[in-house]
Amino acid sequence: MKTLKEMLAEARQIVPEEGPTEVAKRVAAGEKLAVIDVRDPDEFRDGHLEVATNISRGFLEFRVGTTVSDPSTPIVLYCQTGLRSMLAAKALKDLGYATVINLQGGYQKWVQSGLPTVREVSLTTDQIQRYSRHFLLSQVGDKGQRKLLRSKVLLIGAGGLGSPTALYLAAAGVGTLGLMDGDVVDITNLQRQVLHTTADIGKPKVESGTRTLKALNPDVNVIPLPTRITVDNVMDIIKDYDLVVDGSDNFETRYLVNDACYLAGKTNVHGSIFQFEGMATVFAPGQGPCYRCLYPTPPPPGLVPS
Amino acid sequence: MQATETVKLLLGIGEPLVGRLLTYDALGMRFREVRLRRDPKCPLCGTSPTIKDLTIHLNGGGGACETSTDSHGETVAAGVAPKAGG
Repeated sequence: MKTLKEMLAEARQIVPEEGPTEVAKRVAAGEKLAVIDVRDPDEFRDGHLEVATNISRGFLEFRVGTTVSDPSTPIVLYCQTGLRSMLAAKALKDLGYATVINLQGGYQKWVQSGLPTVREVSLTTDQIQRYSRHFLLSQVGDKGQRKLLRSKVLLIGAGGLGSPTALYLAAAGVGTLGLMDGDVVDITNLQRQVLHTTADIGKPKVESGTRTLKALNPDVNVIPLPTRITVDNVMDIIKDYDLVVDGSDNFETRYLVNDACYLAGKTNVHGSIFQFEGMATVFAPGQGPCYRCLYPTPPPPGLVPS
Repeated sequence: MQATETVKLLLGIGEPLVGRLLTYDALGMRFREVRLRRDPKCPLCGTSPTIKDLTIHLNGGGGACETSTDSHGETVAAGVAPKAGG
């Protein structure tokens, strides 16, 4: 009969180990990677790696196929200290998964290294019903919904573009929405700016916008920012958000948002519109072009009406 | 469209519109996709950037978006005129 020590030694022969920093680097680089937490669900709930999927050791061989469809996808396994997952990794190697890596020292060492973790917050009965159609989508699911609820998005402009975007993001359960606009509601806004109503004429757009969004989904923490974005406030404001949606209506703001997002490393979801034409793109620092690559200089004043 | 892109990016799913410009013509009801490339001469994200902070935006005004570099990359957007409205 083999001892546990012998079994672990045998597994180590075929399963490479990587420390928390190396695994964190792979994740940050966006590598195609499946991270599986093989601990029990209660351990997982208490804290886990954000990217991880929980499949308890006992179910691993049965359920791994639903998480990892391509056996050539590299898999990182971890448990609390790195022993259970070492044996689990060997089992996956035996099943034919090409690259299986064990997180050395497990979750414990990950935490000790000061790397980020997330705690599973339990969804309320209302939330389970509200987002039930998301749970049916394999790409969103329960895990995705929790991620949305933890996400923070800054909407620059609560006008023609910002209104529908804000409504959809609030409905989808994006947990924090910063709503930034220095204007008040004007009657001419109402045929397209669907966040605001006739009774809101003369009120700050962020006030009516916040009320509409909260009425749609009380889960959402709406942060009203009743000011224009300027060179003095932009960096301080965007630092608190995961992503910025530019729905502004002028070139100065657009260049400012572009530059600030690039310098702060924030992805900028850009949209603009004129009469019957619109356009949309995403500026992701380091991954694609920015607004200045697209339009190096603004059009002469007066050429493009807003 | 911006909302869908945002949700995809937050969840890390699908193919976001990075490096692609999607245009929409409501009258013709036509969508068009234009590939966008990074401009190596871009004053912000190019190989030797001249914009390293936001000082270019100080004192406001239209000049804030001007850069001193020559007129490069003007066809990058393949004739898609910028839109001011939001």
